[in-house]
Amino acid sequence: MNKEKLTRWLVSGPPFLFMVVFFVLPALIMVVASFRFPGEHGGLAPMFENSSWQFTLETYQFFFSDFIYTEIFLKSFLIAGLTTVICIAMAYPVALLITRVPKRFRDVMILLVVLPFASNFLIRVYAWMIILGPQSAFSVAINSVVTAFGFEPVPLLFSPFAVIVGMVYVHLPFMVLPLYTNLEKHDPILLDAAQDLGANAWRRFWKVTWPLSLPGVYAGSALVFIPVLGMFAVPDILGGTGDILIGNLIKEQFLGTRDWPFGSTLSIMLTLAVLAIAALAMRFSRKSLSYA
Amino acid sequence: MWFAALLVYLFLYLPLTVVVIYSFNDSRLNAEWVGFTWRWYEVLFQDEEMIQAAVNSILIALGASLIATMLGTMAGIAMHRYKLKALPFLVITPVAMPEILLGVSLLLFFIQVLHLTLGLLSVLIAHITFCVGFVAIVIRARLAGMDESIFEAARDLGATPWQTFRLVTLPLIMPAVIAGALMSFTLSIDDFVITFFTAGVGVSTLPLQIYSMIKIAVTPEVNAVSTLLMLLTLGMILLAARFDKTVLRGETR
Amino acid sequence: MLTDRRHCSLNSGWIATAAMPPRNDVTASTLKGIKPKGPWRSSQVVRLIKVVFVLLATLTSSQVLARDELNLYNWNNYISDETVSRFEQSCRCKLVQDYYSDNEEMLAKLAAGASGYDLIVPTGNAVESLIKSKQLRPINKLLLPNLRNIDPAYLNTAFDPGNRYSVPYAYTITLIGYNAEKMHELGLPTDTWAVVFEPKYLKKLKGRVTVLDSQRELMSAALKYLGYSVNDTDEAHWRRARDLIIRAKPYWAAFNASSYIKELTIGNIWLAHGYSNDMFQAQMDAKHAGRPFNIAYATPKEGAVLALDSMVLHKTGPRPDLAHRFINFMLEGKNSAELTNLIGSGNPNRDAMQYIDPAIAANKAVFLTPDIQRRLEMLKDLDRNQRRVLSRMWTEIKVR
Repeated sequence: MNKEKLTRWLVSGPPFLFMVVFFVLPALIMVVASFRFPGEHGGLAPMFENSSWQFTLETYQFFFSDFIYTEIFLKSFLIAGLTTVICIAMAYPVALLITRVPKRFRDVMILLVVLPFASNFLIRVYAWMIILGPQSAFSVAINSVVTAFGFEPVPLLFSPFAVIVGMVYVHLPFMVLPLYTNLEKHDPILLDAAQDLGANAWRRFWKVTWPLSLPGVYAGSALVFIPVLGMFAVPDILGGTGDILIGNLIKEQFLGTRDWPFGSTLSIMLTLAVLAIAALAMRFSRKSLSYA
Repeated sequence: MWFAALLVYLFLYLPLTVVVIYSFNDSRLNAEWVGFTWRWYEVLFQDEEMIQAAVNSILIALGASLIATMLGTMAGIAMHRYKLKALPFLVITPVAMPEILLGVSLLLFFIQVLHLTLGLLSVLIAHITFCVGFVAIVIRARLAGMDESIFEAARDLGATPWQTFRLVTLPLIMPAVIAGALMSFTLSIDDFVITFFTAGVGVSTLPLQIYSMIKIAVTPEVNAVSTLLMLLTLGMILLAARFDKTVLRGETR
Repeated sequence: MLTDRRHCSLNSGWIATAAMPPRNDVTASTLKGIKPKGPWRSSQVVRLIKVVFVLLATLTSSQVLARDELNLYNWNNYISDETVSRFEQSCRCKLVQDYYSDNEEMLAKLAAGASGYDLIVPTGNAVESLIKSKQLRPINKLLLPNLRNIDPAYLNTAFDPGNRYSVPYAYTITLIGYNAEKMHELGLPTDTWAVVFEPKYLKKLKGRVTVLDSQRELMSAALKYLGYSVNDTDEAHWRRARDLIIRAKPYWAAFNASSYIKELTIGNIWLAHGYSNDMFQAQMDAKHAGRPFNIAYATPKEGAVLALDSMVLHKTGPRPDLAHRFINFMLEGKNSAELTNLIGSGNPNRDAMQYIDPAIAANKAVFLTPDIQRRLEMLKDLDRNQRRVLSRMWTEIKVR
């Protein structure tokens, strides 16, 4: 019996310990940091100074003191939402296609979807810098159409449009895979039955396939929405000076202004948002499972 | 509908193709095709900073994948065998949450608590933290798909837990372990956000170099290094997939 | 001169440039015990792991091998290659450089634990910040016989009384640089900040103006234009400055801290808010490239920021001896003059006068006449609450 317990500790101990020290502890420190004062010259002020504990709610007050921070949060939610919707629209045909293809091709098709992932994330973003740049063939083509209608040439790069394109491009495979996993499990009998009952292709999709696929949609949405919320590199590279999201703010606080308490507060807010979304996704996917 | 799907595939591959093609473009600008040249690859291999960054990237990836695989295998086995509540949460959350949160909290931790100067060590630890979860997921999935009776048989025959592990479990999960190691290597080499916050001043990795070049002076040298990096990680993922197919499904980066 | 083979540090990046020796020993202490991976040729695996160990050890330790190196953390484009090689010859050592384009960037990196820099060249308010946070080593004046060359007007400053920690290096003014022909053609004034902030002038310059991507510098320009001091901390005044900037923003091409020199020289940008030595370089570059226009620069009549940059020793620097040698070297009139001749920075060194190119000596942005001196102010450090408010205003400026 003792040997069993010993083995258990030996096997689960090291990873557990590692994660507690390098994941849980830093998270707790960040929570505490959000209640501390900023150091005179950046960083954090000492926790115990002038014979008293130096804690404060001022960073949270500061967050709510001006609408700009809430505004940036809302903008981030909007961009994340748009990205998710576009991803669903683009991933669905692909996922459906993969399910309809003979089994021996499926792995290859999935591989093809995942392969762009093999490239570094920055490369994927940089590729769009080239395509949307003012001198690229694509830009020139679009703008020649635009100016033909008498409008001023539109800068495609360094705009919210570029940010969304970049976000969608980076996260698309996240949506395809969960969706496919779900669609694969659908029983084709259901669709045959619907057809026998006289439903056309659109109704079959809308009344049968779509509801059944909702758990997959929610799973994929969570996998897209959450990372997009925290992303800073895409707006940083593809966006204009005004296209900053939460991630950019956090980065600025830690590496630029050195206001670590406020940066921690922003991170806590982001974490809360992420937890809320994750909880929502789980609730919805459980609810829709009960319908299936 | 097939047409829509085809368009999406095109959308996925066109940008990368552009990057690769322009890496051979005989022009400083990524605008028009002028002519074929290896020039940018030559520049790349003479770029000391880039070489140093590549060395750092590989060192960190080797170290991180080694340790993460060990810890992740242990975690995967523990999660499958012992049904602990806390461990899955601890191990998998870093994989699911926005990377910036992990990067920033580690930055705080290293500076405030450990008073550690950011450098190779800090990046190494950070990479291990998010790779462990990935390996654990792969191992656990593999174990879940296996027949329990073989372990029972080993125990009935009088094998100690360590013997069971060494002679039965390990050989059976070895493909998953190797796949996990290869994927950790890829994740580590490719990582940008977490490295960005924990690298400090003296250490650069390939993604950090690429970022710096993108922000300051974009030349096709970036395309060249991107192409090479793509080939490397492509090779690793394909290799990993041959060992364990579930790696593709669980690919979250 | 200074080519892009040396990538500059970013305001937003943690990028190393010249190889900085890592200060940590990564080796065995980080890797836990070896667990041979089962019957899969365990001896092979063990050997592989040992090879990795050795690889890690040699590669990291080889960079920590003692070399005669001086680590200098300096502004972009603030020292010439000629000066560097002459110093390296004289001390038979190697100068390893890292760069920043903003004081805030440098302070942020140091606050996050960057170490190993022997010498840094911060501006006055940043020196103040570094002294107060006890990051500097006092200088040994006995090792600096050339200190007497410095004009006393630049010594004993408010930020370092008695010069216990800093020695003046050079100074610059943050002013406006412009394409002389274009501005004349458009009939625009070149001696006032109005041309950067007023829509009536900006209309003609839409998309052709850049400003510095620096919170303090841009706010200072706006405050000066509105008639306030650059060290004014009244939030109401700041709000007026912020609104002024937001109103002008749509006409500006970009917030830019480093590449505006190139843009001016090429002719893409016609007006830039920047540092006097950068403008000097743009002027020289345009001349050498044979451009059909001249780059000129002027201190606006409302006033501007004077940045006195000093050499300081960081307490984590491994070679204070070499650092002192460098300081003494730069205090020599000839070397200090080389700085001015090559990059157009202001010179606080009296002994340097005789070596300075007369054409440059005549430049009022390099050598301050009393009337200009009166208009200039040096920035003082802000306290943490003010920094937070400023940071929020900067976010508003970027977003609105």
